[in-house]
Amino acid sequence: MKQLPAIAAVVALVLAGCAARSVDLRRIVIWHQMRVDERVILESQLARYMKLHPDIRVEAVYKETETLRSDFIIGAIARQGPDLVYGPSDQIGPFQVMDIIAPLEPYLDSGWIASINPKGLTWYKGHLYQVADKLGNHLTLVYNKKLITHPPATDSELIAAGQRLTDRRTGQYGLVWNYTEPFFFIPFMSGFGGWVMDDEGHPTLNSAGTINGLKFVRDLRDKYHIIPAEADYNAADALFKDGRAAMIVNGDWSWSGYKKAGIDIGIAPLPVITSTGLPCAPMISPKGFSLNANVPPEKIPLIIDLLKFLMEGENQLETAKILNTMPTLKALYDDPFIRNDEILINSQKQIERGRPMPVVPELRAIWDAMRPSYQAVLGGAKTPEEAAEDMQILAIKKIEEMNE
Amino acid sequence: MSSPKRTLFIFLFVAPAFIILLGVVVYPFVYNVVLSFSNMNLRHLKDWHLVGGRQYMKVFTEPTEPNFYIVFLKTVIWTTVNIFFHVVIGVFLALLLNRKIKGKSVYRTLLILPWAIPQYIVALTWRGMFNYEYGSINLVLTKYLNLPAVEWLKSPTEAFLACILTNVWLGFPFMMVVALGALQSIPHELYEAADIDGASWYHKLKNITIPLIRPVMIPAITLGIVWTFNNLNIVWLVSNTGEPSDQTHILVSFVYKAAFNLYRYGYAAALSMIIFAILLILSLTFARRAKVTEGAY
Repeated sequence: MKQLPAIAAVVALVLAGCAARSVDLRRIVIWHQMRVDERVILESQLARYMKLHPDIRVEAVYKETETLRSDFIIGAIARQGPDLVYGPSDQIGPFQVMDIIAPLEPYLDSGWIASINPKGLTWYKGHLYQVADKLGNHLTLVYNKKLITHPPATDSELIAAGQRLTDRRTGQYGLVWNYTEPFFFIPFMSGFGGWVMDDEGHPTLNSAGTINGLKFVRDLRDKYHIIPAEADYNAADALFKDGRAAMIVNGDWSWSGYKKAGIDIGIAPLPVITSTGLPCAPMISPKGFSLNANVPPEKIPLIIDLLKFLMEGENQLETAKILNTMPTLKALYDDPFIRNDEILINSQKQIERGRPMPVVPELRAIWDAMRPSYQAVLGGAKTPEEAAEDMQILAIKKIEEMNE
Repeated sequence: MSSPKRTLFIFLFVAPAFIILLGVVVYPFVYNVVLSFSNMNLRHLKDWHLVGGRQYMKVFTEPTEPNFYIVFLKTVIWTTVNIFFHVVIGVFLALLLNRKIKGKSVYRTLLILPWAIPQYIVALTWRGMFNYEYGSINLVLTKYLNLPAVEWLKSPTEAFLACILTNVWLGFPFMMVVALGALQSIPHELYEAADIDGASWYHKLKNITIPLIRPVMIPAITLGIVWTFNNLNIVWLVSNTGEPSDQTHILVSFVYKAAFNLYRYGYAAALSMIIFAILLILSLTFARRAKVTEGAY
């Protein structure tokens, strides 16, 4: 039993190692929800950064959007998690309320902050919680130039073009989109004058805008027959990629995929609703980086240095050229590519017509409240009037539950 | 080696496994029990405190959308139907594969295939197959069987049925593999003796095969019940997070939604403790009724 003390020492060392967590200043971890093509660019940019800073190792870990959120919350409860967390701005509200992200403005000089488009800076309750490298994350009308040359500008043009381009016997449709998901319903709701909440964060779902938006989507399917009887995200995406749909309502994340699939795409703002004169306004949300509140102070300068590197013009322009996403660095807006790229020009038009996605946590409850009734209208189980009323009641109830 | 030293030596060998179990099973379980009596949620993530049995009361009394009792009933239906078909199809195919047939290894590989494909891919592939216009299931129904197309994913009952069909396809290979292993361990002499006595195929199945595969099948069925009851992936992905209108939830997807969509951690912990209690009672009762610890011989 001479080895007993040695074994005991090893066990003690392992336990001590688990208990004491030293600050590793040479390793920076980013959790993100970037899709494959975005990830490739990020990895190459991080490789460049590590070449410039051989003593620092940066690890980028992909997690699906919802998994990233729940894992980040769980990690933060245990005072762990990544140094930077990347995603759309609507996660800022819950993270701030939970006190798991830290304000960034104490570590960024005002000149640098001023160099970024204000739409790419998410301020909440007086603090800067997210710095975005991409603007938008927004829905637009994407069309196949082979099937339609001039995109519709109004709802009546959309219906007319849709009817012309639809042949249900051959499974050819004028328009497709993931129309069972409330996020994709927002442009139609806003086109009829509705919105999800007021400035105080109270739900405003029982409105004429919601009712008329619901009627419009239902009519596109049941009256005008220009959209398929059933379409979730994957089905709509596949139809458009196969050339069996002339137009799709989808976000900027999808464009490069369509190009890779060999579709000659055009981007256009979503149409204007003639009866209201309002454009279909999607939710606009920047995608960017936030700082974990558990990061030790001595590590923050290193993380900020990396953040500034990723936000540099060269890197943002590289991303914009490959993915056709809108950069946030103001200096880039004079770049010939940004000024002349047809997709980016039209994307910018849509961004201007869109409305910022609320960053308050209550939005989660609103999505959850909208989904059942919205789908019930599409399934024929509720009238739009009943659905709008039920959405409002359920949203209020769920917000109470969330905030109890 | 003297006795105390021997004990210490054994303890040291067991210690690493015990520490790991403590960390990954006991601690999370105890933490979950504590959370279930707390008010931990969006507004109280770090400053939560104990509130007694309030969360348990809420689970049973709070009017939720969808209703807890309906979700519970659906979970029971989901588990029963799935396990029934997993066992029937699995044992039936195992009996076929246990005979002398040509190309047995090819059939066996093909039949195990559903088990080998990641659940995520299976679920999304089946979801595509259930599409009203383009899905292969409706194409077969309408083109080859002259039946009307079914709105699989639009109506609550059909969507739930679609989830069950997917999980039946996914789950039978496990039962088949277990049953096949059990069948191959049955001494051939028993069948020879039965043949001499003039026993029919049915009598051999009833008096030899089923009693002798039972000790292996019962633990597999118990495991199957627990896995199926808690199978979040299929319901979540085939129904696209509970569509239509949150009508295709089972208890685990209901908990997942409460915990991660609305950040109600205390409530979700209480609900998961209730699920644990249901499964514990169910498994113990089933094991006792089936006399799982009894030998076959």
